[in-house]
Amino acid sequence: MSSGQATARTASGVKVPPPSLLARALPAFSGTTGLVIKLVLLAVVNAIGLWALVALLADESWIAALCVLAATLAIDAVYLLPVRGLIPLKFLVPATVFLIGFQLIPIIYNASVAFSNWSTGHNLTKEEAIQTIEEASLAQPANGAFYTMTPARDESGNLTLLLVEEGSGKTFAGNEDGLEPLAASDVTVANGAITGAEGYHVLQGDELAGIDEQLATLVVPAGGKTFVRAEGLSTALELQPTLRYDPTRDTFTNIETGVVYSDNGNGAYADPQGQEIDQGWRTGVGFANFKDVFTNPLVRDPFVSAFAWTFTYALLSVVFTFFAGLFLAIALNHPGLRFQRFQRSVLILPYAIPAFLSLLVWRGLLNDDFGVINNILPVDVPWLFDPFWARVSCLLVNFWLGIPYMFLICTGALQSIPGEMTEAARVDGASSLQVFRKLTLPLLLVAVAPLLIASFAFNFNNFNAIYFLTQGGPYGEHQSVAGATDLLVSYTYKVAFQTGRGGDYGLAAALSILIFLIIGTISAITFIRTKALESMA
Amino acid sequence: MLSTKTAARTLVALVVASLAAIAMSATASGASATTITIWTDKDRLAAVTKVANAWAASKGATVQVVQKDFGQIRDNLKTVQTETAPDVIVGAHDWIGELSANGSIVPLFPSTATKKQFPAYALDAFSYGTAIKKLYGAPVALENIALVTNTKLAKVPTTWAQLQASALATKKKTKAAVGISVQQGSGGDAYHMYPLFSGLGGYIFGKNSAGNLDPSNIGLANPKFLKNAALIDQWNKLGLIRSSVDSSISQDLFLKGKTAFWFTGPWNLDTLKKSGLSFRISPFPAIVKGTKAVPFLGVQGFMVTKFAAAHNVESLAKDLVSSYMMQSGPQLELALANGRFPANLTAAKQVKDPQLKAFGAASAGGVPMPNIPQMNSVWGDLGAAWVRSTKGAGSIPAKRSFIGASRSIAQKIG
Repeated sequence: MSSGQATARTASGVKVPPPSLLARALPAFSGTTGLVIKLVLLAVVNAIGLWALVALLADESWIAALCVLAATLAIDAVYLLPVRGLIPLKFLVPATVFLIGFQLIPIIYNASVAFSNWSTGHNLTKEEAIQTIEEASLAQPANGAFYTMTPARDESGNLTLLLVEEGSGKTFAGNEDGLEPLAASDVTVANGAITGAEGYHVLQGDELAGIDEQLATLVVPAGGKTFVRAEGLSTALELQPTLRYDPTRDTFTNIETGVVYSDNGNGAYADPQGQEIDQGWRTGVGFANFKDVFTNPLVRDPFVSAFAWTFTYALLSVVFTFFAGLFLAIALNHPGLRFQRFQRSVLILPYAIPAFLSLLVWRGLLNDDFGVINNILPVDVPWLFDPFWARVSCLLVNFWLGIPYMFLICTGALQSIPGEMTEAARVDGASSLQVFRKLTLPLLLVAVAPLLIASFAFNFNNFNAIYFLTQGGPYGEHQSVAGATDLLVSYTYKVAFQTGRGGDYGLAAALSILIFLIIGTISAITFIRTKALESMA
Repeated sequence: MLSTKTAARTLVALVVASLAAIAMSATASGASATTITIWTDKDRLAAVTKVANAWAASKGATVQVVQKDFGQIRDNLKTVQTETAPDVIVGAHDWIGELSANGSIVPLFPSTATKKQFPAYALDAFSYGTAIKKLYGAPVALENIALVTNTKLAKVPTTWAQLQASALATKKKTKAAVGISVQQGSGGDAYHMYPLFSGLGGYIFGKNSAGNLDPSNIGLANPKFLKNAALIDQWNKLGLIRSSVDSSISQDLFLKGKTAFWFTGPWNLDTLKKSGLSFRISPFPAIVKGTKAVPFLGVQGFMVTKFAAAHNVESLAKDLVSSYMMQSGPQLELALANGRFPANLTAAKQVKDPQLKAFGAASAGGVPMPNIPQMNSVWGDLGAAWVRSTKGAGSIPAKRSFIGASRSIAQKIG
């Protein structure tokens, strides 16, 4: 960057090197320019805060609104108040905001889902559910009337439905008070619909736009339990409820059969036989989802088998790719090697191709009957359709994908081991193997151990590598939700979207928390042991 | 120095005030009362935009059509915020059990005269409710798979024996690993295998006395099917079907003339026409006497979401869906622009394309994909049962495989 700059000369003629980019950039952030940048950024933060505040107040989420207000004011205070003690906070606040936004909130949200029954049929609040059930219970009575409808206003401006009954052709005017017959002489009918009526103003064009809500909710009593309601802008029909909600007892009663549906404590109304009404609501269920994972064989068995495979998969992937990568790195690190750069580039290629592409290619190559591998090699291995071989395939492909990465980091780490040390060891009479085992490997591990842990965690959750290759299949005879190659994470995905009535987010969230705990524990233990390694070195 | 600070404070106040004003106005404007937002997929986008705009012009409303991935329409509806939510969605009939249980879509009441213009099964496919069945969508297009024959390689079969003989003769001639192009893959594909499943006497859910699908009556291992299941083992031995055939392989084999038969739907019509092959589309021949081999029927339609009421456009949205979209004119236009068979019977009579008509003919007697949410528990297991029994060497006898799948589904539904 600075090579293009002319070298500055002082008055005395002494050459001074041009200042670094950072040094030149810093002044831009102080003085007036800096102040303006700061104020603009701060104003953006304030505007976002204000927007959130307005939205939250409109939603009547008082506590959240208060938090947003406090946070926004605090940020303003940190950057505007000229207090020395606040200077460290200026650096901490952005990091904290991102930590809360991208880490804490998702974790808290996930945890709140894990303790709920959120799933298909339990997606609403209780109030919404009651409304939805009432709406879904409306039915057309036997021989119920159907009308062609024209929205209009009467002389005092009340919304009125001008109706022509289908079949009989009788005309009515309906409003909140009820249906009233209209004399045929008072109305003009064209194409089966009223286009004008004595004493009424027919609404047209733009006038229709404003009345939508009124029109949709206008209920015209039509005798007994039935009423007439608009369906769209040009039809109306007679409806009657089949379920009646009793707010004092919090029950639904079937008007015809008298069956009572009461709150069953699991976010649904159920009859005495336990038959639930389709629409339920989200509610807390305590540790039920976690209990399910350990006690319900339907959840537990796939979980246990997926866990065993996931652990094996991640461990073997890391161990094998690390040693293969290390071997290649050492081999290619040899000083006398020809075409060293070319060979290194070729090895890195699998890492440079998007993984999902190479996974799909591998799926084609490995196909049992049509794949290149079985057709060219003198073998007939059921690569993808036998549970055991499918696991082998997943591992092999993952090795292929992972070795370049390990090769890269090992090459880097090898460069950082001072040559003098190995040379000294040689002089002291150590064999190549001894040098590698006692010197190179421990020094290398200090540098790469954290990356190995990260790689383990990555492979533990390597959704793509499984989903694009086998989709978790094949399924053994006694396997249900999780197939032979399903990792915990793809099993969780299937629980969330493909089981029961089409999705159990509560259970899936509980599973993802368990996965987090497992990886967290394994990582923590390994990190502690790495510390020991470091002190040894 | 002090003056700079005072100036700065003033500046802050000004900038904050103006930005806040912008933010507030953005919140307030939200969705305009006369705009209907429709979610649809890429294939249907142009046709839906055209048809919906023709309707909107007469109502003084505007239409905003948003493109979504087909499956995302269903998934996003569960989590969308009211501000950006759609008023109308275009989706598949087998979503409605889940969507109505979630309260995401509202019931519709078209007139009896309108309903008479539709085949009963299309309306039934869009009706759901364990206690009271409700119509939740306006069916607009039908789709199903049919038997596609390469007429250079084989005659259009009228019996299963002919089909099997031709398929195996072609297989021998072309040295293909399989006789019929029907897709599975390691995840399985219960949809494309359904003609074989139904042809052997299998069904997914039985119906209860009220005529509703009964999730406790699972027909994967019914006695009739199990009696015929040995045929699957025979097909597996002969190499008639293979689980290793996935969607791209099945297409490839057929287009390259390696197989004489392909089980596929109207979405591949363009590919077929461009391939230059001479082909015929026909219904599936019966496999065992007295049992029809029929495809799954998919019905696409328009649905009104619960958000329409929150946006104050419920009447408008219902006018579009349960009045306008059910008429023959818009149906014909929409179905043809998308290469599907219209649901409206009057519109269906006006379809001229012989291939599209042939797909329509193959739908006769077909079974709509179950729309109850429990169907989500079936797809994987049913597909896996086929995979286990048709993977060549090492396959599990079909009888055992389907009994296992049936048990697993029953457990999952609970």
